[in-house]
Amino acid sequence: MPKYAMVIDLQRCTGCGACSIACRNENNVSEGIYWSGNINETVGTFPHVRYHYIPTLCNHCEEAPCVRGCPTNAMYKKKNGITMHDPDKCIGCRFCMFNCPYGVISFNWKASHKFWRNQTPLIKGCTSSPAAEVKAVGGTGTPYYNPARAETLEGIRRKGVVEKCTFCDHLVQKGQLPHCVVACPSDARIFGDLENEKSKVRRLLGKFRPFRLKERLGTMPKVYYIRDFNPAAYQRDKGGV
Amino acid sequence: MLAKVWFGLLVAGIIAGLVTVYQIYATGFTVYAKTDVLVWTLPLASYIFFSLTSSGLAFVSSLPMVFGLKRYEILEKRILFLEISVLVAAFICLILHLGSPLNVIWLLLSPNLASPLWWLAMLYGLYLVALLATFAGVYSGKASRILGLLVLLIAVGTSTGLGWLMGMTNARPTLDASFLILFFPLTAFACGMATILLFGLISSWVRGKEISQEQASLYDEISKWFGVLIAFITVGFIWRTIIGSFSSSAVEFAAFRHMLTLPLFQAEFWLGLVAPLVLVAIPAVRASQAGKVVVAGLFLVGMLIGRLEFILSAEMIPFGPLAVGRPEFVSYFPTIWEVLVPLSALSAMLLLYSLGERFLNLEGTPEHG
Repeated sequence: MPKYAMVIDLQRCTGCGACSIACRNENNVSEGIYWSGNINETVGTFPHVRYHYIPTLCNHCEEAPCVRGCPTNAMYKKKNGITMHDPDKCIGCRFCMFNCPYGVISFNWKASHKFWRNQTPLIKGCTSSPAAEVKAVGGTGTPYYNPARAETLEGIRRKGVVEKCTFCDHLVQKGQLPHCVVACPSDARIFGDLENEKSKVRRLLGKFRPFRLKERLGTMPKVYYIRDFNPAAYQRDKGGV
Repeated sequence: MLAKVWFGLLVAGIIAGLVTVYQIYATGFTVYAKTDVLVWTLPLASYIFFSLTSSGLAFVSSLPMVFGLKRYEILEKRILFLEISVLVAAFICLILHLGSPLNVIWLLLSPNLASPLWWLAMLYGLYLVALLATFAGVYSGKASRILGLLVLLIAVGTSTGLGWLMGMTNARPTLDASFLILFFPLTAFACGMATILLFGLISSWVRGKEISQEQASLYDEISKWFGVLIAFITVGFIWRTIIGSFSSSAVEFAAFRHMLTLPLFQAEFWLGLVAPLVLVAIPAVRASQAGKVVVAGLFLVGMLIGRLEFILSAEMIPFGPLAVGRPEFVSYFPTIWEVLVPLSALSAMLLLYSLGERFLNLEGTPEHG
């Protein structure tokens, strides 16, 4: 049985956000919800400043706190290591969000894609309404609805339940890569089987010194980061007192 | 006339709760001041407050039922009925907190034994059944010690289990399990005593009858032990403050240090702990009925604030991607709909209790079979 993991090469990542856009399209993610996000910070004092950008997603932890704490097994591990969520079993207690050390689980505070439910035309007698637009193109909830998402999870998640990244399990089960990996223009995301010695992820983890977020918590994330992008140079000397 | 106004107010409170339910389901949980950072707020804090108070009442009711302190039997019916009423209030808060309360059937169909929430849900379900059975037994003069023991054990389980629930969140070290599994039952016990003092004395005022000498001496005794408990709680609270503010260097404690500067923390400490402790230490205040009611009321308000403070002090610092575009500490001010959650739960609890006072003889000593 494969154990899936993702390696994110921070030297290749340009912070373009294509992963986030691709994720939203593939998984019908509503506004205000982020399966694919980032941690960014600006450090230093002008002119010696740097901007750091780390893409984030569910870490599919081996020892997932969200899975351990979920009272109904709505959050569960698949045999291939993917942490999945079943909205039918979710009671909306949000303990998984409280318990997740990475802040990558979102709650549907309101009905999804509210914009597209609006039946009022933007300009009366001139434009159609968002809801009419959805109907005209035969979408479900949005005009750009992706029906493939519904193969393993509710296509659009309902109000009152949580949702998060699934490593695009509906694509992976068909032998395809997660959509954020496909969409990355600089190939900064590498996906594969940790159990397979010949997989790219295994080779990269052996070649570089990877780090994972909050490793000290023992959650054993399956998203690894390698390298860093830093073109800054400095004059070589020994400093001073 | 006064009774009609009282019941009218309580029904209005319950209607406000029903309007809140409508708002949640028509608009969404956006009517609450919740975000992906502040996922647990006043509705859950109210649930913790009511559920721990119910556990505390169980500790008090165990004095005659389990530990054989017969002189407390005179309070037994009132305590048990209060426990049921307070537990109902806790359930109302919980239902208004959950995103999909109808899915709770999956607690039975798909149990996760590793989850403290699952155990708490099972215990609370059993708690209500055991409480009803115990009250029915006591009311009909067939009090069962076994049932009393079961209620006590469940109350120990729920009050310590809440500590397990909060404490298992490794990402939020301000919630320390080993502290909470002692602090929660201790504060629960004190809340139970405060509730007994408050409701026992106010009930006698409303009925316009002097309380018996026997009851008066029991309230004096409870008041003394209540003072001792407040002292222990205050000491624990001060140690928590010292550890959180000076001793720990973990970044997550920044939220706790920020909390120290907020009115919420100050109100909890000064209004909920210091003021009752000072008042209860004065013999004249402790001896007077009004003094007991004021001390109990202050402590209960302080504890409700405290339950919210505990949760927020773990949540106020956004981390990971949630920190992007947000300030170092997020602020919280409840919406009117959130305030209506504890108010409607309190209304339901008071209505149930008032009906109990009116139609069930909560004053009488139960006859043991």
